[in-house]
Amino acid sequence: MLKLAWKYMRYYKNQTLAIFASIILTASLLSGISSLIYSSQKNDLANSKTIYGDWHYYAETDKETYESVQSGEQGDGYLLERCGKMEIRDVIAEEFLICFIHTDEAYRQMAHRDLLKGVLPEKEDEIAADGFVLSNLGFSGDLGDSLRIGGKDYTVTGILKSEWDASSGEMEVFVSDSFTGRGSQTFLYLGFDEEEKLYRQLDAFLREYEIPSDAVVNNEEVTRYLGGEEPAGIYETIKFGLTEEEGNFTYIVLKLQSDYNLAYNGMVFLLCLFSLFVVYSVFSISVSKRTSEYGILKTLGVGEGQIGGTLILELWTMFLAGYPLGCFLGNGILSLVYQKFSGVFGGKGAGVTEKSLSVADQTLAEGVSEVRFCLSWDAMIFGFAFLMVSLGFVALMVVRSLRKQSLKEVMSGDTSFTKRRKIYALRPVNMAGVVVRKFMFSNKRKVIGILLSLSVGGCIFLCTTYMAENLKIHAELSLKSDDGLGSEYRVSLKSNSLGDTIPEAAADKIKNMPGTERVYATKFTFGEVTRIEELEWDSFFDDQNTDDYFVSRYGGICLPQEDGTYKIKYDVYGYEDELLGQLDEFVLEGGIDPETLKTGNKIIAVANMDGQGNYYFYGRRPGDTITLRVPKMDHYTDELLKFQSGEENYIEKEFEIAAIVSRPLAREEGFLQEGFYKDALMPGLIMTNEQMKENFGIVDYSFINASPAKDAVTEEVSNQILQAIRDVPKAVLVDYSAAIKTQKNYLRQQQIFFSSIAVILFVISLFHIANSMNHTILVRRREYGIIRAMGITDIGFYKMILQTGILYGVLADVVICLVYNLVLRRVMNYYMAHILQFLHIQAGVPNRVLFGIMALNVAIAVAAVIIPAWKLARENIISEIHNF
Amino acid sequence: MSILELRHIGKTYGEKENQVNALQDISLQVEEGEFAAIVGTSGSGKSTLLNLMGGLDNPTKGEIFIKNREIGSLSRKELTIFRRRNIGFVFQNYSLMPVLNVYDNVALPVTFDRGKHINRKYIEELLRELGIWEKRRKYPNELSGGQQQRVAIARALVNKPHLLLCDEPTGNLDSATTIEVMGLLKASCRKYQQTILMVTHNEAIAQTCDRVIHIEDGRIVTGKRRFPEKGGDEEC
Repeated sequence: MLKLAWKYMRYYKNQTLAIFASIILTASLLSGISSLIYSSQKNDLANSKTIYGDWHYYAETDKETYESVQSGEQGDGYLLERCGKMEIRDVIAEEFLICFIHTDEAYRQMAHRDLLKGVLPEKEDEIAADGFVLSNLGFSGDLGDSLRIGGKDYTVTGILKSEWDASSGEMEVFVSDSFTGRGSQTFLYLGFDEEEKLYRQLDAFLREYEIPSDAVVNNEEVTRYLGGEEPAGIYETIKFGLTEEEGNFTYIVLKLQSDYNLAYNGMVFLLCLFSLFVVYSVFSISVSKRTSEYGILKTLGVGEGQIGGTLILELWTMFLAGYPLGCFLGNGILSLVYQKFSGVFGGKGAGVTEKSLSVADQTLAEGVSEVRFCLSWDAMIFGFAFLMVSLGFVALMVVRSLRKQSLKEVMSGDTSFTKRRKIYALRPVNMAGVVVRKFMFSNKRKVIGILLSLSVGGCIFLCTTYMAENLKIHAELSLKSDDGLGSEYRVSLKSNSLGDTIPEAAADKIKNMPGTERVYATKFTFGEVTRIEELEWDSFFDDQNTDDYFVSRYGGICLPQEDGTYKIKYDVYGYEDELLGQLDEFVLEGGIDPETLKTGNKIIAVANMDGQGNYYFYGRRPGDTITLRVPKMDHYTDELLKFQSGEENYIEKEFEIAAIVSRPLAREEGFLQEGFYKDALMPGLIMTNEQMKENFGIVDYSFINASPAKDAVTEEVSNQILQAIRDVPKAVLVDYSAAIKTQKNYLRQQQIFFSSIAVILFVISLFHIANSMNHTILVRRREYGIIRAMGITDIGFYKMILQTGILYGVLADVVICLVYNLVLRRVMNYYMAHILQFLHIQAGVPNRVLFGIMALNVAIAVAAVIIPAWKLARENIISEIHNF
Repeated sequence: MSILELRHIGKTYGEKENQVNALQDISLQVEEGEFAAIVGTSGSGKSTLLNLMGGLDNPTKGEIFIKNREIGSLSRKELTIFRRRNIGFVFQNYSLMPVLNVYDNVALPVTFDRGKHINRKYIEELLRELGIWEKRRKYPNELSGGQQQRVAIARALVNKPHLLLCDEPTGNLDSATTIEVMGLLKASCRKYQQTILMVTHNEAIAQTCDRVIHIEDGRIVTGKRRFPEKGGDEEC
């Protein structure tokens, strides 16, 4: 059998090469894209570790445990590879909340608080801190100088890397072991063996040291890539999604994504199916060219098992040779491309860290510091096993299809078409055109199969482009809406009191600086929306209502009233007109016009969003009204934020809703956007700065976003801004310029990856189209031979073939348009809105891409038919006619 | 008047040691209205000769004149059009288009002449004459071998060619159908004043023709003239 298989492979060289090429291409695709996604996830993990810290959990412990746990410790069921120790020795809440902490080297490494300059403190009055903290505390910039904190002078001995999350409420000052504060709180930062389940190791660790589980905080942004929590069973997840009221399809997808990395595993599986489809298609075409020979073998007494064995051996031989080669090529090419992208980030880290002390935050710039290409061995092995077994089935299916056809049937040509009794020649007609259409449409099942297979690549390409375009929009909108990253500089107050503000004069100074542009000063107050009749999502505020901080400070967020209505706490923003204009991209309903807002005293509401990307605003729409109460500032205390004091302390106004938006732009920090909810979408209302003044008497600002002018030196601008806010109590400046650059590069990289994937899929699809079209022509070579014998000229023959190619191309385009617009786009919209939770799915596939794909489809189909036609035209007519 | 003339035709396949001389120095004249049979054993070169006469293949040596035009001097396009208008073919395997019904199969060659009017009356007459008018909406695979060959003959005659070349037209037929088909060919030859050259390996069938040309090892070995007054080949 092996000999026969080998003979066939050698005799049908072209077909063998086509199958081999399809195996190499699909293996490249499968392994390359899997590795790409795997690498991307690995880099996301590395990125998260940079941003959120390279640790999995931290736990507050007693002093004894704190001392006894060590890095590298192996216990029953866990391996603690790294253990960082951090002890808070003192806290000062004067102007800023400042923590004096003593840490070990492991903690500094895990939290990315490396020493950039100088030395670590050794004496009691020595401190080290990052550039952000030092500059905002008014440090001169020279090591050895003293700094006054909490009425005491300290000598600054070293500068550390800043926290990524530099705008957090706390400032950390590193002290030596000899520093004695007023207390001691000890924390262990835990980094377990990532090759094993983290949640199991944590359980074992907590058991061993008898640490209660509620003392543990999970570094979710890191552990979600590593299985930080025990996954639910797949069956239970699907059952819950289908049977429970709270569950739905989105729940299933999101749960599978979080527990089983659906994006990666699902993609690997889909790629396996796609690979199988392409190889099967090419192979079945190849086998169809020698069906008669297998028929003859059968008549000679060769059993089906032996024929099947020959086919399996043929496929497996090529697969064993082609798969590793394809993996090598796919990974090789993509790793080169991947490494090339790493140049985008080249030198970024070093360049920034060498800067002298300024307000510029140094860690912010780091992000993806190293772009590594990782091989996805899991996917390659799975793909190998899956395709090996599947190809065996493919061979058996081909044998099965052979069984259905007798040799006589094979020799009498294609008789499976629908027989219409219409005589075309009774009317003036182009019979060549009739023949073309008959060839194409006589067998509907076949034509649908061909058209679908022709459309696969185009559809995938369009979907990927659609996704990439929307990803771009989403990322741009996210940058805008995530506070700070829309603008390079953000001046805010390290305070959560409405009493602290940035005076109008300071804002004007920043606006009038030659080095700044797009300066948006935002007013803020805290309010309560009353008389909300219905909460469409009953449990939406449950977590916030039970959050200790929210309860103690605001008395809860959403409070039911005796009359059945609700009162809900709200952030209330006053935007500048230009900033309001930028909200247009986030509008869900209604329209935004600053003048209309002012004249009609209207308001913009930020909709609530559930975990699946659905928006709502208590059933209210533009034109409806809401009632808003805000505290008066005359005798303001934080107690007023509970909205339980006398009515004389509040101003109540009714506003008409002008628009409902999905996100606010400039966001507060320290009120609702606090702690766990720092990055969450919290209830918000937006009006103009003028309205804030007229309605509530608010004149000063709470935060200012600014961008550097085109040719301005960013460091100079940041120093100028610092000067402008020098006299504003609690005001701090965060410089996001490097972070924005990193994010934009990261986005660009993501887009290139998406496009690469789309192009690879499209190339494979083109190969498949060429092969299918070639087959559709060659399978009719006898008929074309007859037509040529009947006297069609070469030009007429080429026209006929051209007509076939164009018709297939155009029909494939129609199928692509229909499938893409009616099915795929809707599925993608659902996926992007509810699973990926993109902000506004506005972008379509650019017309030039759409028309380019269509033109390319036709061009490829035409080229794919003209080449075999050219060969046919050179063949001897008689040999073609006698060719069965 | 000679409608077909072959002058020292040779056809060689392959190269060097694999070279095979399929035809050697064939000279032949066929008169208008003649019904000639080319007889020979398998591999003798009779089909090759027929294909060369029909312009479906090119000779290695010599010249072929049809209606006094040397077909080797024609361009591919001219040859195709010349063949379409002057030569009809009937093949042993019928070579019908499986996706077209009987009527459309027959009409197909006419439509290749752009703008040429389809003489539907003539097609009907042909189909009636050949006894397949009732089958005009049927597809080839719904017909018997004899019926398919009638369709093939009708298709060959539809352009009213001067020369009809038949390659083993009865090779796939039983004896009764063979007699029928031969009768039809003869009748059409007379009715439409056509010259027919038929390749066969069946001596008995050949004997029913006006003239028999024997071919062995690529050479004409003998021939009998039934129409001496109209001319004939020099070797006979």
